[in-house]
Amino acid sequence: MSTFIKDFIERETISRRNFLFASAAGLTTAAMPGVFGGGMARAATDPALAWSFRDRASAYWNAIVSGGEAFTESLGKPKDAMTSLINEGSSEKSLSDIKAFLAKNNGACAIACDPNDSPNARPVAEAVQAAGGYVSTIWNKTDDAHPWDFGDNWVSHMSWSDEKPAENTARILFDAMGGKGGVVHLGGIAANNPAIERLNGLKNALKDYPEITLLDAQPADWDTTKAAELMASFLTKYGDQITGVHCANDNIAYGVMEALKAEGIEGMPIVAYDGNPEAVQMVMDGKLLATVFTNPHWGGGITLSLAYHAAIGAFKPSEEPKEHREFYGPTILITAADAAEFKAKYLDNVPTYDWTDFWGPSNGPIVYK
Amino acid sequence: MQRILSRENVIRWAPLLVLVGLIILFTAINPAFFSQRNFARIAIAAAPALMVAIGVTFIIVMGSIDLSMEGTVGLTAVLFCFAFLATGGTLAAGAWVAVPLILVLGAIIGLVNGLVHVKLRIPSFMASLAIGFVGTGAAVLITGGDIVKINDDTFRALLTWRIAGFPLMVYVVAVLALLAWFIQSHTILGRNFYAVGGGEELAHASGLNVRRVRILGFVLAGVFYAVAGILQVAKLGQAESVSGANFMFISITSVVVGGVALWGGIGGIWNTVVGVLIVNVINNGMVVIGLPDYLQDGMLGLLVIVAVVLSTDRRSVSFVK
Repeated sequence: MSTFIKDFIERETISRRNFLFASAAGLTTAAMPGVFGGGMARAATDPALAWSFRDRASAYWNAIVSGGEAFTESLGKPKDAMTSLINEGSSEKSLSDIKAFLAKNNGACAIACDPNDSPNARPVAEAVQAAGGYVSTIWNKTDDAHPWDFGDNWVSHMSWSDEKPAENTARILFDAMGGKGGVVHLGGIAANNPAIERLNGLKNALKDYPEITLLDAQPADWDTTKAAELMASFLTKYGDQITGVHCANDNIAYGVMEALKAEGIEGMPIVAYDGNPEAVQMVMDGKLLATVFTNPHWGGGITLSLAYHAAIGAFKPSEEPKEHREFYGPTILITAADAAEFKAKYLDNVPTYDWTDFWGPSNGPIVYK
Repeated sequence: MQRILSRENVIRWAPLLVLVGLIILFTAINPAFFSQRNFARIAIAAAPALMVAIGVTFIIVMGSIDLSMEGTVGLTAVLFCFAFLATGGTLAAGAWVAVPLILVLGAIIGLVNGLVHVKLRIPSFMASLAIGFVGTGAAVLITGGDIVKINDDTFRALLTWRIAGFPLMVYVVAVLALLAWFIQSHTILGRNFYAVGGGEELAHASGLNVRRVRILGFVLAGVFYAVAGILQVAKLGQAESVSGANFMFISITSVVVGGVALWGGIGGIWNTVVGVLIVNVINNGMVVIGLPDYLQDGMLGLLVIVAVVLSTDRRSVSFVK
């Protein structure tokens, strides 16, 4: 659907429900401090579990959810003991769903959440703190909002830094190009943080390869169709000057490959990002040089696990060092050398994780520029 | 001379003149634009969009609107892949059965669309938008968010096999555009679309079964959306729930830019063909002349307004809503 019309209709249908939810949740949270003493963290024996995320239409979020469900099952509960709060790209819905969930369970909640956009992280954390629940977040938060400013209730925040991995894929690409020639970059939606970081990674790598020129970098909006059309236009503009393609994600790379296939061009060096199963197969087949995996299954499970274990009092977040409250998630570079091994380990069989090893696979504290 | 330059003639040929003007403009800035290879690239990009735009043209000529294309294209593309793989995975092994199957499915979606609109008396805008959402939802449900791929080289010949420099799918689209023109100009149904669009009450008073014509219009549109779904798979070798994304904007814009009036009864298939080409030439040309990406959306909007101003006869309507 056209996002404009979809968003509009969503807003219209949601606003009334929002109002009801928000007022119900507002009453509950307003009453809460009086009863429980200023939203102080209380240990719950069996907190209600929820994952708040964007939608079910992408492999990425499905992997996140599968991780959350795997953790839930590891507690001996059925999968559906974890509630999915789907925000469909609306921060307002994200917040009102979480408030409703807190109200329903009287604050005894362990919630994992991508707040959808950065400014929404703070109101989510405030709502959870006021209700005495526990939340762990991923991806979106503003630089000035930190879990340690919310006592124990905002347990942790995990994000992924894409700059270094994108730089690494660029280096692999440039080496395959023989250290000279022209490269084009097809990016994500221009204002998205990962899109900016992935282009920056490419630019960092360029500094070490003086004989490689960045011919053009334009947004393909993470979209396969748009990528195919943009690549075709690049071919008209630059023709044989293009000797390598740097893509901001796997979906874009699929479009680029089809545009090249239509022209009968074979063997063009291409790198991608995300580590989707199709892309990993292409790395194994030699059609793609590299992609990057961020292990969403683990991310989905561990985020919920952190909130859960804080909620039952297994550890006290405020006593943990800051790098255990804000940290980067794992990134795994996949190239032809290790693609088969990677596929066997992560895709053919989903590994069984120790959901109490909270920080083992993580990637260091979040750094602000 | 006076007769050639009459108002009607200028307006009739304006979309084509806009297209030629754009080609001259882009070629002047970057001569690489004017090459057979680039025209083939534009044609590939335009092929599925043209099928969607032709489908919606029938509806717009009737004075209605159909916004179900994104859901219908997404769902038919996904189900085409599943049917193709289930019936052998190669054209040779009998997977061609998937093609008529999906065309029938497109017709059924269109039929439901038309019935909801006509029988439940819901405005076509709302009815078709809702059916589109249902289609996208069904596609998400079926794929679970995953991508379905087709690697059959015979089927992909639609993209890779070239005759006189243009891929096979371009010829398929050309034949179907001729068929659409035939339906529009040489069948009773096609003329009835214009009767309904030009004056629904008059058509009704003349004994025309307007409700039947409307439903058939949506069925026909559904079939063309299904063709677009199949071509989208041919073009990208894959389908996912968002395979139909952006078709709503591209198709409606193209139809209007080509000079088909949104109030019905004016314009036709050839306007749509030219409109789709204009929009795709703009999209391709902006990259080829090196327009910065942050200016491209704004420029597309401006050019669309200019094209509509030049190519629609606005003097014949007293008000625009």
